[in-house]
Amino acid sequence: MICLSTRRAIAAAAAFAAALAVPAQAADPIKIGIPVGLSGANSVVAPSVVQSAELAVEEINAKGGILGRKVVLEVADDGSGAAGAQKAFDSLIFQKKVDVLISMETSAARNAGLPIVTRGKTPFIYTSFYEGRSCNKYLYVNAWVPDQQVAPIVDYFMKKYSAKTYFLIGSDYAFGRGMLEFTKGYITSKGGKVLGEEYLPMDGTDWTPIISKLKAAKPDALITSTAGGAPNVTLTKQLRAAGVTIPYGNLAVDEGTAKSMGPDAEGIYISGSYFTNIASPKNKEFLAAMQKKFGANLKTPNDLSVPQYEGVYAYKLAVEKAGSTEADKVIPALAEVSFEGPRGVIRMSKQRHAPLTMYLGKVKADGGIEVLETFKDVDPGEQCPKLK
Amino acid sequence: MATLLDIVTTAAILFAVSAGLLIVFGVMKIINFAHGGFLTVGGYSALAVTKLGWNPWFSLAFAFVIGGVCGMIIERLVVRPLYSRPLDAILATWGLGIIIGQGITLAFGREVQFVQSPVSGAVDIAGGSYSEYRLLLVGIAIVLAIVLGLALNATRLGLVTRAVIMNENLAKGLGINSGLVRFGTFSLGAGLASLAGALITPLSSVDPNMGVPWLVNAFMLVMVSGVSLVSLGVACLVLGGAQVLVSSWGNPILGGLTIVVLAALVLRFRPQGFARD
Repeated sequence: MICLSTRRAIAAAAAFAAALAVPAQAADPIKIGIPVGLSGANSVVAPSVVQSAELAVEEINAKGGILGRKVVLEVADDGSGAAGAQKAFDSLIFQKKVDVLISMETSAARNAGLPIVTRGKTPFIYTSFYEGRSCNKYLYVNAWVPDQQVAPIVDYFMKKYSAKTYFLIGSDYAFGRGMLEFTKGYITSKGGKVLGEEYLPMDGTDWTPIISKLKAAKPDALITSTAGGAPNVTLTKQLRAAGVTIPYGNLAVDEGTAKSMGPDAEGIYISGSYFTNIASPKNKEFLAAMQKKFGANLKTPNDLSVPQYEGVYAYKLAVEKAGSTEADKVIPALAEVSFEGPRGVIRMSKQRHAPLTMYLGKVKADGGIEVLETFKDVDPGEQCPKLK
Repeated sequence: MATLLDIVTTAAILFAVSAGLLIVFGVMKIINFAHGGFLTVGGYSALAVTKLGWNPWFSLAFAFVIGGVCGMIIERLVVRPLYSRPLDAILATWGLGIIIGQGITLAFGREVQFVQSPVSGAVDIAGGSYSEYRLLLVGIAIVLAIVLGLALNATRLGLVTRAVIMNENLAKGLGINSGLVRFGTFSLGAGLASLAGALITPLSSVDPNMGVPWLVNAFMLVMVSGVSLVSLGVACLVLGGAQVLVSSWGNPILGGLTIVVLAALVLRFRPQGFARD
């Protein structure tokens, strides 16, 4: 008997303590789902994406969370493809019951995930640059589309080198072809001429016949859009070995790849919404915070990971504006809030996409990027005219 | 002119990449699907040379030795028990190729790496400029062919090897240690593949899967060449040339299929391929 009553007393005390603790936590945490390619093609970049989301969440929680609620991350591997994405979206939305999805993914993974997003009525902020024109009631995009990336390079070539004739080379897949189709249209609309457009299969390694065609065509400038990684490196090496020295714009190279290519990358023009040496105070703050949080394990922030950081903040502001995490209220609010991050002030106000400040850079001998020109608030164009 | 150079240099690269596979196939009658893995080993040997800051020319010898040593170990542990089971050997070497790729990923990481090239830039030739390294590869392929040809046809070792190629049982009966010949051949084949891997690094990216795209073409070329170095040379010129022509006049996507399709057609209508008999 005595024993039992003691136990009861302890239980009562514990219940009391728990009751006291509850108000401090306010409510359940807000869950942010991140389906991302931890394995497969995106595995090189995915860790940097997760890191920047972790920093954003840590900063937000340190300042009291969102609407007084703590924020937590749920990361799921989408395998960089459609099949993995279906599982990842399904488990995040229906099992983990996340409030929002914020992620950089392949186009295949995004397309596979969208029907599940619609079914689960969950806001989805897509933070990867992509080929454009993906429209869904629950989808917002805060990274660039071809309309924003191609223009700076072509405009610069036309102005600086008076380049009239162009040669286009790409990998044979949706993104490669999509980018160059757009580039071709843009060059033609600006009065330039495309002398040739050539593609090699994704696993192709020998660009020789294409390079011979390029040399025979004698264009003023070259623009390429290969798959990231190996094809980009083989093409650049073989171009350099063949003595191609005309202005060379590369739509698929990032800072990391440029560095690993060494001297062959020198002089390549690249265009993006983020480079590590953007000289804004916000960017310096961000880089310092990343360095402090991750130290030696830091994955270099890049044009795919920084939008992820800003996406988390955009969601925070939208929830605060809506006063709730309900999708119907958050969705319209996402178009109205603006957040100043490392890339500048980002507002997803144009048909679910964001006007972005784009930078034209040139790869230096040491692999770093020299920012040549800044193009303020480049418009994403007509992406989803039918979407309200 | 540029097209002609493209054909000759493409054939040279194909020859260098296929030679090791041919040697192994000739003596052992097994297709070594780990060939792509050995190419990758060669690429990373060259990377190691770059990282150590040694002369890039040294990477060729270094890759050959590393590949050869890998070949010796693998012959002992994996290939030897499977000599009488060629089909299992294909599976085993295929798996081995995957293991090599994953091992390299663990050791060097998944990303694309940069290897210093022994020569770079272009030279002026016949009224245009052309990649110096590709021209150099033609010379290297010719030297390789001569050295291999002499080794097979003008040395005691070559004689013994040819005896095993022609009739292994008879050779054994004459007191030739065919096991040793197989061991030597597999190691040589692996060394040659690794050397080829180092040779293609200035043209190719260095990543854990770098050997895979070359494997299928090398396989087809060896299939149509029988066991002769001369017919391999002819096959590389004809099929490699066809690939260049289709790529330049048609498009490179069809060009990528050319070698495989032509090789299949050749074997359909002339089962001995480019071999004389």
